[in-house]
Amino acid sequence: MKRYTLFAGTLTVFLVGAAVTGCGQSSSTTATTTATNVAATAPASAGEMKMFIAKPGSKMRIEGTANIIHPTWQIEGPMIGGWMAVGPGFPTEPGQAATPGKLEATNSVFISVHSLKSVKEDGTPYSDRMDEVMCEHLKEAQYHQVYYHLSQLTLKEAAKSNGAPYVCEAKGDLVIAGVTNSITMPVNITPILIKGDKGLEIKGNTEVKMTDYKVAPVDINLVLGHIKTGDAVKLIFTWIVGEKKPAPPAAAP
Amino acid sequence: MSEHDNDPLGFNRRDFLRGGSLATVMTMLGGVELLAQTNAAPGGETASQKPKVKVGVIGLWTRGREIVNTLALLEQADVAAICDTYPAALKRAASAAPNATQTEDYKTILANKDIPAVIIATPTATHKEIALAALKAGKDVYCEAPLANTIEDARVIALAAKASKLHVFQAGLQMRADPLRIFLLPFVRSGQLGKMAEARAQWHKKTSWRSSSPNPEREKALNWRLDKAISLGLVGEVGIHAIDQAGWYLGSPPTAITGFGSITFWNDGREVPDTVQLVLEFPNGIRMLYDATLANSFDGDYEMLYGSDAAMMMRESKAWMFKEVDSPAFGWEVYASKTQFYKETGIALVADASKAKPATPQPTPGQDTPLANTPLYYALQNFLANSVAFKTTTDDYKASYGADDLDGLADQLSKVARKPAADYLEGFQSVVTAVKANEAIASGKRIELKPEWYELK
Repeated sequence: MKRYTLFAGTLTVFLVGAAVTGCGQSSSTTATTTATNVAATAPASAGEMKMFIAKPGSKMRIEGTANIIHPTWQIEGPMIGGWMAVGPGFPTEPGQAATPGKLEATNSVFISVHSLKSVKEDGTPYSDRMDEVMCEHLKEAQYHQVYYHLSQLTLKEAAKSNGAPYVCEAKGDLVIAGVTNSITMPVNITPILIKGDKGLEIKGNTEVKMTDYKVAPVDINLVLGHIKTGDAVKLIFTWIVGEKKPAPPAAAP
Repeated sequence: MSEHDNDPLGFNRRDFLRGGSLATVMTMLGGVELLAQTNAAPGGETASQKPKVKVGVIGLWTRGREIVNTLALLEQADVAAICDTYPAALKRAASAAPNATQTEDYKTILANKDIPAVIIATPTATHKEIALAALKAGKDVYCEAPLANTIEDARVIALAAKASKLHVFQAGLQMRADPLRIFLLPFVRSGQLGKMAEARAQWHKKTSWRSSSPNPEREKALNWRLDKAISLGLVGEVGIHAIDQAGWYLGSPPTAITGFGSITFWNDGREVPDTVQLVLEFPNGIRMLYDATLANSFDGDYEMLYGSDAAMMMRESKAWMFKEVDSPAFGWEVYASKTQFYKETGIALVADASKAKPATPQPTPGQDTPLANTPLYYALQNFLANSVAFKTTTDDYKASYGADDLDGLADQLSKVARKPAADYLEGFQSVVTAVKANEAIASGKRIELKPEWYELK
């Protein structure tokens, strides 16, 4: 129980932090609800939960459509923070046996809005002005982070071989510009090693409509003309987490 | 080999015209109009507030005050502290930075954790001590050029900057941050001027370089540029920018230098020449002629490149092209604005910061202001922008992954898209050239420059 108590405490701290840093009334309310759910559904064996924390190597890419002059646009972010806690049945070893069905797992994920930058198709920087406008539209001054909280993870298909991903479906809350919506998306989870330690690579993508988050399309004049972005955007991400090692025992007094 | 095969970056004329034709033509034809669109904020958009950077400026004599005055124009600059050992200099600079803390000890600024960035504009021989202390204190550092008055000191600074992977270091070679010059680089390298023949630059100003003070010790300190023991003279304090630019455009540092210098007018006991001439040799038989004088101001300062199809003149943040009668037509030059220079017609070369690469299918959306500012303005602007980028990336990285993984943070910072600016290596290499040029002037001899002198190790 000791480890789970620590985990719940960490979650609470995170949520309080989110509210303080301006993630908004809606997001913090939703998150609080989710925290309650996690506590309520926590199994008696919660002490066996494993905690994973974000590691470098993650990447978020957002793709959208626009008008004729600028038919597509892309945004990338190189850092995804947060944690993920998984229960005993969760496959953390390559090729580990797992039965399709609900997996005991939850997470909290965040991306700093100002770390998202517009890029050309080849990944090189696109436009400072576009970045500024994007931050304005996402209300970055008020809501510094986009974040996601997993509420349910279902294994659809176990790994077919060592190194192959576990095909899952994730349900959770996505908070953008202070507005929360529940989304469901396919994710592939692959146990990996990070410098010899256990880790997970979580890949997924989903499409959302920005107006669902009360984010208006970008509508600005650029050097060679006008750009107005479409409502639908595709979120493509790779999130890397590594198992959190237990703290070393305190030295004897 | 065709006559246009002098493209060390791999650009060629056809690529330039094919890839950048629309962008280039529109840029050339209507930079002002296009930029006006760029700056428009339709649809109720308002320009966002850029985060400010608290800056300390160390050294407030002529150059330092120019820097403080320029920072006052920059939205992102918050001059939090100014420093000079001479109280009169502090007082004079304070008018442009009324809210800045004043100090005579630079260590006060370095100890202030609220000031992440410093600009060093002290006498060249003091740069090393201050730059090393600033890097050690974890500051982002902009160090005026030349970095040092010896190659050894410049090497020490550059190596420290290289090792300081968590912070920005920028050498004060401001031409390298100038959007116009960045735009024109591929224009030149892709052979738009034809086969390169020679380069030339001048800096002419009627000024003594001497300051007076009732205190003899203070007067000696103020006139450090006239002391050959610690000053690289006109080539180091002024010519370094044009010479570095020539090497940048020609794709190589010089291979040999011949210099001349004399005291022609200010015969006041000084040891440093008031007039110098240099012949700098570059690969492929290209030479650069450089001259600087404190005795005459005619025609000010500018840099020229001469090719078989056209010559190009750069003055501050403006540039013109002068075509040969037998050169190929671009088409756009018919409509471009022109300036008459005696019997020659200069075709204005206009760009904005966003169109630095000619092969871009469409111009990148605009960024900031039209090119109405000095290279120093852009150099400081980019320094502040890079400082912000490093700060926000560091904050995000630590929030995402914790504060312990400094190697990971350094790796992440190495991927930050920096605004163009001279780095520690270019700062070091420019000192190598300046020191050797000054030696050539002192000896009146030709000095061959070994490639390994430019290696930082």
